[in-house]
Amino acid sequence: MSEYALKMTGINKSFDGIQVLNNIEIAVKSSEIHALLGENGAGKSTLMNILGGVLLADSGIIEVDGEQVNLHTPSESQHHGIAFIHQELNVVNDLRVYENMFLGYEVHNKFGHLNAQEMIKQSQEIFNYMNIKVDPKAVVGDLDASYKQIIEIAKALLRNATIIIMDEPTTSLTHVEIDNIFKIMRTLKEKGATIIFISHKLGEVVEICDRFTVLRNGEKIVVEDVHGPNGTVSAETIARYMVGRDVLDANIFEKHDVGDVIMEVNNLCCSPYIKDVSFNIRKGEILAFTGLLGDGRTELARAIFGDMKIESGTIKVNGEKITNKSPEKAKKMKFGYLPDNRKENGIVKDLTVAENITLSTLERFQKKFKLNLKEEKSVAKQYVSSLSIKIPSLDANITSLSGGNQQKVVLAKWLHVKPDIMILSNPTQGVDVGAKKEIYGLIMQLAKSGVAVMVMTGEAQEVLKICDRVCVMYHGVIKAELSRNECCEESLMILSTGGSID
Amino acid sequence: MLDAKSSVIDSKVSQLWKKIWGQYSIIVIFIGIIIIASILLGRTFFDGQNFLNILRNNSILGILALGMAFVIISGNFDLSIGSMLVAVGASTIMITNFFGRVLGPDLGLLAIILGILSALICGALFGFLNGIIITKGKIPSFIVTLGFMSIYRSVSMYFMKGGGFFCDVPGFKNISNTDLFGIIPLPVIYFAVLAAICYYISKHTKFGRHVYAVGSNEKATRLSGINTDKVKILTFIIMGIMVALAVITETSRMNSINATSSGSGYEITAITAVVIGGVSLSGGKGSIVSVVFGVLLLGVISNILNIAGVDVFLINAIKGSLVILAVLLQKKEVIR
Repeated sequence: MSEYALKMTGINKSFDGIQVLNNIEIAVKSSEIHALLGENGAGKSTLMNILGGVLLADSGIIEVDGEQVNLHTPSESQHHGIAFIHQELNVVNDLRVYENMFLGYEVHNKFGHLNAQEMIKQSQEIFNYMNIKVDPKAVVGDLDASYKQIIEIAKALLRNATIIIMDEPTTSLTHVEIDNIFKIMRTLKEKGATIIFISHKLGEVVEICDRFTVLRNGEKIVVEDVHGPNGTVSAETIARYMVGRDVLDANIFEKHDVGDVIMEVNNLCCSPYIKDVSFNIRKGEILAFTGLLGDGRTELARAIFGDMKIESGTIKVNGEKITNKSPEKAKKMKFGYLPDNRKENGIVKDLTVAENITLSTLERFQKKFKLNLKEEKSVAKQYVSSLSIKIPSLDANITSLSGGNQQKVVLAKWLHVKPDIMILSNPTQGVDVGAKKEIYGLIMQLAKSGVAVMVMTGEAQEVLKICDRVCVMYHGVIKAELSRNECCEESLMILSTGGSID
Repeated sequence: MLDAKSSVIDSKVSQLWKKIWGQYSIIVIFIGIIIIASILLGRTFFDGQNFLNILRNNSILGILALGMAFVIISGNFDLSIGSMLVAVGASTIMITNFFGRVLGPDLGLLAIILGILSALICGALFGFLNGIIITKGKIPSFIVTLGFMSIYRSVSMYFMKGGGFFCDVPGFKNISNTDLFGIIPLPVIYFAVLAAICYYISKHTKFGRHVYAVGSNEKATRLSGINTDKVKILTFIIMGIMVALAVITETSRMNSINATSSGSGYEITAITAVVIGGVSLSGGKGSIVSVVFGVLLLGVISNILNIAGVDVFLINAIKGSLVILAVLLQKKEVIR
């Protein structure tokens, strides 16, 4: 048996010419719990997808237990004892525990008759090995959330997995449930399994892991022991590794006047996503909302824009109470919303560039019933040139554009609406560096013209680059509100991982 | 040198062909079939009167296909139209007959106008019913319209005792059985006018654009501040109005309506025509012009098979194969 259960060296991967992994190296020792850390977009998921056989690396070597392997498909990866437990768990709620465990690998005789007895017996053996009590015959939907995680782990063991990747296993669990999972992880470690643990909760990393590797912008930054010769590493130190020192480069932020309060949100609740959220925003202010997965910022944006039902709480615009029952009403109240997940929520794929730009404002080109297509084109053309959107032609299909240019088209659509309050959800998601900078520039301009801009983002750097003020969210609650000169990446990271600063 | 030049021309020709094929494949196929059939069958096929017959025989289907085009482009289905046609037809004849009796023979025209109005209101109402249940109940249109398909047919059969209604107001049958200038049957004119209106709506109105947007990406359209429910309900109302117009044409042609046979299978034929016309079943894509040619192609093929003396029982099998072939040909281009 080799010292290292897994070794990945010189891994490179790029998407559409953008390098996401640059000469990455990760070495995981046998029977250790190894944390893989990094900000959103650092390259963790890409690296793990390569290991899981979902993606193919452009170059690099993967060694499992000292032997070089090729992982072209998920089943090859599985064959080498690698199990990937995704954040969205693949359990079927309507089936029983043992049925889930044997899904696709059912034990049956040659006539196809299922041997339930045997499957239940084997499931029970696995649970005994894990040292936990689960009834294999229970229906999964009736069990606690943590049991779904446990079933996934059991499933991995059943397939003889020796390397288990756990992607943020604790995000949706309570403290008791997390302790339960940790107990199982320790048991498995003692029995020789190797675990790669991906988490944003740095406190947990310190508690459970032996070593950690930090990635930043597709590069390996550091690999260290959690309990090193200089004592146990602190969450703050890890946060610093994750964020890096050389963070603030360009001077995108420009001083601008901030006017009166335009919107006041009080005690907004949308269970289970948002709990008692209150804040206000001024004309010409850029207010950022940040946090990690499950923080509720996307839901907050949707609730304000009328895309999600508000349970309680009030929204006041210019002192008057309003309710946005639908995005249509919100648009009329002069709200704008650039949604996250451009492909699903932003672009209309069968329409042209021009048609996408004018989608929200078609009525302005309408005379009686007839659309003035010429005027529509000329307006679209103006936006294309003022936002320097690179397009083959105005009649080109929106999908023929690059991600950054598509995003600019969606932004142009809302600029033409001319909203008073603009909500931008992950405005630079899947956008390359150049376009990112241009979008920041546009946000600045927008604020300068007196629009109140809410930026919902998971990237700490984005917050530092453009915001006047930031609300850090954690599990649907605004944990802290920092002004521009109060915030730094470390404090954002600490607050969004559930910690507090004095 | 020469080679290079000819290959440039070649690629230009192939590009032009690709463009024509990509947008007008249905028209190319249509013309191709007309030419082949004319060569093989001669004057029995290539004849003005024959072409007018084809048009007349398919104008009702055409009117329905126009409505169906909006519904399918917006990403939905309407399976209820065949049965809806009977229900609307029965009520139209009853109302026309009622006013015909009350108003007397001198005011027969008024009775007919009132009958037509009632049909339009009834059709729009039925369409609205489909739309409101689909959008507010968040049920797939397939299910809702499948349900109404049975409901309308069954209720109509109950009231008509499984038989038929005749219109006794003289002049009602003139709506369909009159030829403009003594040659062009009026149903053909109705179809042509409606096709022009639908084309205009689809290309030059806000509503038309919204129909494409909803069919292509409903979520993004809603988040653009558009009332997508309203758009969808309107497509079903248009469908209902088209059913009303089709049923006026149909009942006038026969001067009657039959509970069992009228409108039976129309929904499938209408969907077939729309699909042959290149409208994507997943929504967002397609043009009214192509749908018109889809209708014509379907009509021409039936006509050719009739003239060629193909057994009546086999005609649907050949039509079915052609549907698959037509879509396959269009699909191939997309994949490349």
